[in-house]
This record gives sequence, C-alpha cells and structure tokens, in this order.
Amino acid sequence: MKNSQRVVRLFIILFFIGLFDFNTVYAQNTANCDCFVKGVVKDRETNLPIVGAVLTIKNTSKVTTTDTEGHYKFDRLCQGSYVLECKIIGYKTTRTTIALQHSAEENLNLSEDEVHLQDVEIVARRVTSLTQPSGSLQNQSLEQTRGQTLAEALQKMVGVTMLQTGASIAKPVIHGLHSNRILIINNGIRQEGQQWGSEHAPEIDPFIAKRLTVVKGAAGVRYGSDAIGGVILVEPAELPYTIGSIRGELNTVGFTNGRTGVVSGTFEGGLKKWKGFGWRLQGTLKNGGNIRTPDYFLANTGVREQNFSAAVGYRSVKLGAEVFYSQFHTNLGIFSGSHIGSTSDLLSVIQNGEPFIKADFNRAIERPNQLVDHDLLKIKAYRQFSGNRLSLTLGRQHNQRAEYDLHGPQAALKPALLFRITTLTGDIVLEHKPMAKEITGQIGFSGLHQYNFTDGRPLIPDFEQSNAGAFVIERWIRQKWEWEAGLRYDMRWLQVYRFIGQTLDQRNHQFNSWSGTVGGVFNASSYLSVRANFGTGWRPPSVNELYSKGVHHGAAAYEEGNESLRPETAYNLMGNVEYTSERFRAEIGLYYNSIQNFIYLKPQSEPILTIRGAFPYFKYVQTNATFSGADVTTEWNITPRWEHTAKISYLRAYDQAANDYLVAIPANRIENGLRYKIGTVIHSHDSFVSIGHLWVDQQKRVPPNSDFMPPPSAYHLWSIQVGGDIILTEKQKITWGITGQNLFDTAYRDYLNRFRYYSLEQGRNFSMRLKWIF
Amino acid sequence: MKPTHLLLTLTLALTITAVIWSCGTKEAPAPEDENELITTVRLTFTEAGTTTPQKFEWKDLDGDGGNAPTTSRITLKASRSYKVDVEFLDESKTPTDNITDEVREEGDEHLVVLTPTPSSLFTYTASDKDSRNFPIGLSGTVTTGSTNQGTLRVQLRHQPPVNGQPVKNGTVAPGSDDVNITFDVVVAP
Repeated sequence: MKNSQRVVRLFIILFFIGLFDFNTVYAQNTANCDCFVKGVVKDRETNLPIVGAVLTIKNTSKVTTTDTEGHYKFDRLCQGSYVLECKIIGYKTTRTTIALQHSAEENLNLSEDEVHLQDVEIVARRVTSLTQPSGSLQNQSLEQTRGQTLAEALQKMVGVTMLQTGASIAKPVIHGLHSNRILIINNGIRQEGQQWGSEHAPEIDPFIAKRLTVVKGAAGVRYGSDAIGGVILVEPAELPYTIGSIRGELNTVGFTNGRTGVVSGTFEGGLKKWKGFGWRLQGTLKNGGNIRTPDYFLANTGVREQNFSAAVGYRSVKLGAEVFYSQFHTNLGIFSGSHIGSTSDLLSVIQNGEPFIKADFNRAIERPNQLVDHDLLKIKAYRQFSGNRLSLTLGRQHNQRAEYDLHGPQAALKPALLFRITTLTGDIVLEHKPMAKEITGQIGFSGLHQYNFTDGRPLIPDFEQSNAGAFVIERWIRQKWEWEAGLRYDMRWLQVYRFIGQTLDQRNHQFNSWSGTVGGVFNASSYLSVRANFGTGWRPPSVNELYSKGVHHGAAAYEEGNESLRPETAYNLMGNVEYTSERFRAEIGLYYNSIQNFIYLKPQSEPILTIRGAFPYFKYVQTNATFSGADVTTEWNITPRWEHTAKISYLRAYDQAANDYLVAIPANRIENGLRYKIGTVIHSHDSFVSIGHLWVDQQKRVPPNSDFMPPPSAYHLWSIQVGGDIILTEKQKITWGITGQNLFDTAYRDYLNRFRYYSLEQGRNFSMRLKWIF
Repeated sequence: MKPTHLLLTLTLALTITAVIWSCGTKEAPAPEDENELITTVRLTFTEAGTTTPQKFEWKDLDGDGGNAPTTSRITLKASRSYKVDVEFLDESKTPTDNITDEVREEGDEHLVVLTPTPSSLFTYTASDKDSRNFPIGLSGTVTTGSTNQGTLRVQLRHQPPVNGQPVKNGTVAPGSDDVNITFDVVVAP
C-alpha cells in the first residue's frame, strides 16, 4: 500500500456498533459445533463494502478476510462466547464480543467519514497523543466505573490520582498536577467553571462519555494555554446517523455506602425519512445520603444530581453539523464535621482523632453545601473539500456555583459565595490534505471570551478575559517512523474589576506566549514501539492567584494573591516503551516536567490575626518546580482464563529554588488485579470475577513543618468484582456487575483528601450495576 | 472548495458566532457584600452599684487581612462585681449592622464563651438563657479576683443543629468559632 493511502487510512477511525454493540442477531438454541457467524463490513459513510479487512476470532485459529463485496463468514464454531477482531492496515483494530448460540450476523459499519474529528479522543489520537502518552477508559473498563464521579473513574488510569474534599468532591490529578493546570475537554469544548478551587469538582455527567481519555504532560499546542499537566477528553459516542429505529440504554447503579442510587437513560435514533440525521436524549439522576467510614457516619455528605443532554445532527459525505445542549445540576453536602471557624477548632479536631459531630444515616442535605449548575450549548459544523476539511466549533457555557455557609438567617436566603461565569469559545480548524503524500496536519484558530461575577464574601474579584490563539501541527509518517511537530501562539487579555471599599479599581493584564511540541515514534517491530515527546506549554496566572484575599475555610489558611505573578512555562520531556506480544503487554513511561515560575502558596512567618483568631498566612509566589516520575502498566494473560494486570505510579516533585519537596503531591502507588474469565454461567456470558489490591505509600517527601499533621500512613485496599452479560432477545441485553470496594473496611486517610484532618475515608462499599440495552 | 463557497461558509460561521456571543447580557461589576462579617467585638463592663459603663473594643474594620486589628486593654478593679454585655458589630456597613440581636434570636445555636487566663483572674456567669435553658452568654456577671494580669479569650461559638438534632449542650466543644479573639486584662487594686 502506498504511503499516502496508509497515512489517510491511519487517520480514518474504524468505528462501528455505535453506542451499543447489539447488532448481533441471536438464533435458536442448538447445542452443537456447527454454528456460524457472518456479516458484511461496510463503510458507514458511503455504504460501500470494505474489501480485504482481516477478521479473526480470538483464541482460535480462525482467520478470514472480506471478499470484494465486503462479506465474511466463519463456520464450524461451537456455541459460546467469542471475540471477533477486525483489522485493516492503517485502521485501529476493533473487537466485539459475540455470544454464539447458533448463528450470528455481525455487520460492521466502518466510519470512514471524519465526523470523528469531533470526537476529541480521535483528535488526541491523531494529533496530541501520537507521541505523547495517553490512556483511555471505554467499554468494560468504563462500565465498571458507572455511578462514580469523573475523578473516581479516571483514577483507574496509571499516573492519574484524585484530589478530594471529603467523600463527595473529587478532582482528577495527572502526574501531580490538577485544577487549572489540566484541561477538561467536554465533548470538544474546553470546560470552564471555577477550576482553580480544589473543592470545585468538574461539572460533568460521566454517563455522557463513551470514552474517557487522559493525555499526560504538556499538551498546549492543540488545546491551548493551561494544559501544562495534561488533558482529559470526555467524548460521547457519535450520533446514530444510520439507524432507522429508536434504541437506547438504561443504567442503574446502587451503592451500599451512602445508599446511593443512580439512574441514567439514553434514547437515540435516526430519522427514516431524512437520511443522515441523528438525535439523542440522555439524562441522569443521582441521590445519595451520608457516607459511612469504618467507625462512624459523616454528617451531611449526601448528594443530589440531575443532568440531561440533547443532541441532534446531520451528516453527509461533504458536510455535517451538530447541536448539543447539556445541563448539569448538583447539590453537594459538605461534611458538617469539617466546618471550622478558627485554627484552634482545626487543632482540636486533629487532637480528637475523630469528628466531634456524630450522625446517623440521613439523606437530608443541609448547610454547608454547594449548588452547582453548568449549561453547555455547542454548535459544530464541518465541510470537506478536495481532501481538506474545515470545521467550526462554537460553545457557550454558563457555570453558576453557590456555596452556602453554616451561618445565620441571611445565609438561608443568600449563599456566602456565588460565582457566575459565562464562557464563549470558538475554534476553526483546517485539516489539509497530505502534502508530498507523507505530511498531514492541521492549522487552527481559537478564541475565548469569558466574564465572571463573584458575590458574597470577598474571595476573587469580578473579571473579564479574552484569549486568541493560532496553531499548526504537522505529522510525517515514513515506514517505521512517525514524527510530529507543532507550534502555537496564544494571547490573553484579563481585566479585573476589583473594589477597594466601594471604589472600583480596574486592573488590566496581558499575557502571551508560544507553545511547542516535537515528538517521534519508532515502531521497531510489531512487538515493540518506542516514543518520545518534548512539549512546552504555558499557563497565565489565574485570577485567584493574582487577587484572592481571605481565609480559605476548611484549609484554615489565609491566602493572598500577588498581582505581579508571571505566567508559568512547562518543559515536558516524556519517553515511552511499549511491548506487546500475544500474551503479555508492558508499557513503561518516564517523564520529566520542569515548570518555570511555578505558582504555589508559600507559608509566611507571621500569622494573620482575624476575628476568628490567628490563621497561618500563605502568599502566592513563584519558583521553579520539577515533576519527574514513571508510569508502568503490565497485562499478562497467564492462561486463556487467568489474567494479571499491574500498575505502578511513581512521582517525585521538587522545588528547585527552595531545595525542598513540594506539598500536596500524590503518594506513590501500586495496583494489582487478577481476573478469571468464567465464560458462560447459567445465562450470563463473558462472566468474570476479579480481585484487586491497591497499595498507597505514605507521602514522605514533604517539606518539614508544612502541615498541621504529618501525611497519613500507607494503606492497602482490596476490592472484588464480578460481572457478565445476559442476552435477552436479539436486540436486548443486560450487562450486570457487582463490585465490593474497601472489602475489609480498612480505616485509612489519604494525603490528597483535604478533609484528612477531620475524618477517615469511606468504609466498605458494595455496588450493583445493571445496564439494559434495548 | 470554490472561493465563493469558502466565503459563504465563513460568513455563516461568523453569523452563528455573532448570534451565540451576543446571547450574554452583561451586568456591571459590583463590590462584594459579605453576609456575616463581624468587624467589632465590644465588651461593656458596668461595676455593680454604679451606672458608668466601661467599653473595651477589638476592631478589624477592613475584615480579614489588610490592616491589622486594634484592641484595647481591659482594666478592672480587684474583688469587684461587674455586669457585662457582649456586642458583635459590623462597622464596615453604613449604618453599622448590629449582629448581637441575631445571635440572641438564634440563642439555641450560639454560645458566647469568656475564658480568662489565668483562671483566677475572674469568673464569668452568664445570665441569659436560650429556649432549652442553656446559657447564651451575651450578658452576665464578672467577679474579679485579686490583683493580677492576664488575657481574656472571647469566643462566639456557632453550634447549629446537625441533621435536625440540636447539638448545643452548654459547653464550648460543639460547633465552630465565629469569633475567637483575645484581650489583655489588668486587674488592678
């Protein structure tokens, strides 16, 4: 095959079975070894057959290719469950599970059209993550996280941990960086809320996602400023443009701890009369009560969540458009025992060893609590012309965050803090056709305009900011080598409307900088590939770092901004070696991220005296910091039924100027899993049982006297999972799963939980998941 | 794509952009308005048998941070009895917002605690009660000891119900500090 075709094909994502893999047709029972599976592999767009696709049935010797009409057939198969793999050079290999009872028809529609550009994950695969390490959760691994928060789900990936504020609020951390150092791209739009706050969890319904991807390291070129720690891509499935009927799924999850219930449903379909149109409606409800630690309940830790989204789109070969709207609403209780007024309150809780406030199970959410709403409207359109593709994406987000304090009658009506931020984004990307048959790439422009209002307690001032950026990324693939390089320039204008007393004091800031990336992949053999990437990114100081002023409740710290802060610049070097054989896969990633002008809170020698006593005084200052570490993953199919996986995350963060460690860095950890594939038990196919063990070390690398109490001890957690699929009818399937977390009800605290001072972590938690596909 | 088509696409794009971007109606920035700021704690001591009040204040008019708070030294006579009234004010507002009434109204979830160090400095007995017959501590009686000097810690404890159950039990432990300040005290002969 010619290189140019290879390049083009590499870019085309083989994508089939849409949101649900229920194209399978199941026939009557006959216990024999004369079953067959057949089907047609077609290009979803042109509906033309794909010739020469290689199909294999895993763990058998059966291999076939599609004929000139795209047909394939396997016969003389015994009843049972099989994994059907479809490969074609340049395409991503895909697998689908068939529960074969007599015969099955598995028609594969391959999406050749670039609609998946929309699909942020693919953008990543095509651009950012080619030479940069990334990981994703999809299918079964994503299923197993259903009902959990986004951050809880993401920490399944090596190198990703979470920053918690009690049991109900969690934020993802990539290689030790979080909040406004990582970007979340929700359905192609940069998520903009109040990311700077460690107690501000991402306002995203994880049920929207068909795939969650984490791109590790500075990814500024494609995604713009701020992405110096990494990028999280939340991508829904594509709309069902080719389906004539209505289909959907219903997810229910129940957790014993918190007695949390989650229901999420999706309906989608195409329009028979209007070819090329597709629509989807989706919604989620969540209700949880007080969380229990091994020793006591945590008062006021309930959660209510109501989310919905709707999308409609049109697609043809030449052009397409999509409109997406989503709404996220949550009411989060903040653990009552974490409310402190003064440093002496905090010290007495720590000394007590457990919260002063005891509670029973309760669903009521009282103050303190957070009411958060996030609305997103997205419009996307593209047009293809002579091998090029031009796309335009527009987004409008509104985020409202109301934080209620424990205080008097006024607070009942009025939140202590109310943030309202509106963000408008626009991106135009041109993907050009291959140049010199080997070089492909894209150029793009992005813009952002944002304004924020803060009411209540003084914390951050009102502000308005605008961003403009332009980038170019080019890729060159030749034989075993793949190269990519990119460059970007961004400008940011920030206007701050600060009040001194009743007088407006407007401050203007302007920041601008270059970002760059260069990387290569060497596919040494079909077993071994080596990749390396050097990327730079930058992050202008955020408004809280420039202007915040006040006591950070919960942290018992007086924090003060510094308006002369300069942008941070990250220089990120990463190397990755991946070995894949039939039964063993290993991936070792090393990284070194040097951040110049790293902004952090430095303790000052004198405390600040307030009406609530003396508080430790912190100022935002800059230093040069390094984050270096390793991520290791292994997967070993010991026998066809037994599988072992291991994940190791190692991180060391250092303040080069102070010659000391940095605070609040996740501890090193090792995770092991052992899985046994049972196969078909009664009516459950693909059944499995797995046990998991997680060891998290004590964080010993902390500066002396940097905290009210030493980092918590190391801990071990055990978990168990069982699950499988029950086939109901030819179009209906139930996927079930039971999970037990913290099996031995271990009492532990985590260093990256800001409420570690006040309480233990969650105790044992069993959950039951049912997903009904219809 | 023909140039005209490109132009058309861009025009459409810009139109959509303009429509979306103009959806936001903006308001003017306004100064912050803290709900429950307490800037001033005022202790009024009236010696038994007299009508001349002595006022001592702890003040931080610009709230947390900024200018340091100012505080006056409490001077009392040894072995006397004083009627004491505690007031909490927000003097950053015009007119001054008196928080004391609110504390009294919500006596069931507030407790004012006066802690002298050393404890022999004086004793404080609250004279006001909440609906569950626990002290509120906004007014009471101080009986001074012999000549001495030390400090007085004034705490306003906020002890709201947890899950609908009252937690106030007359002791300092439940809840959290709304106020936690210290005065210097001299008990003179």
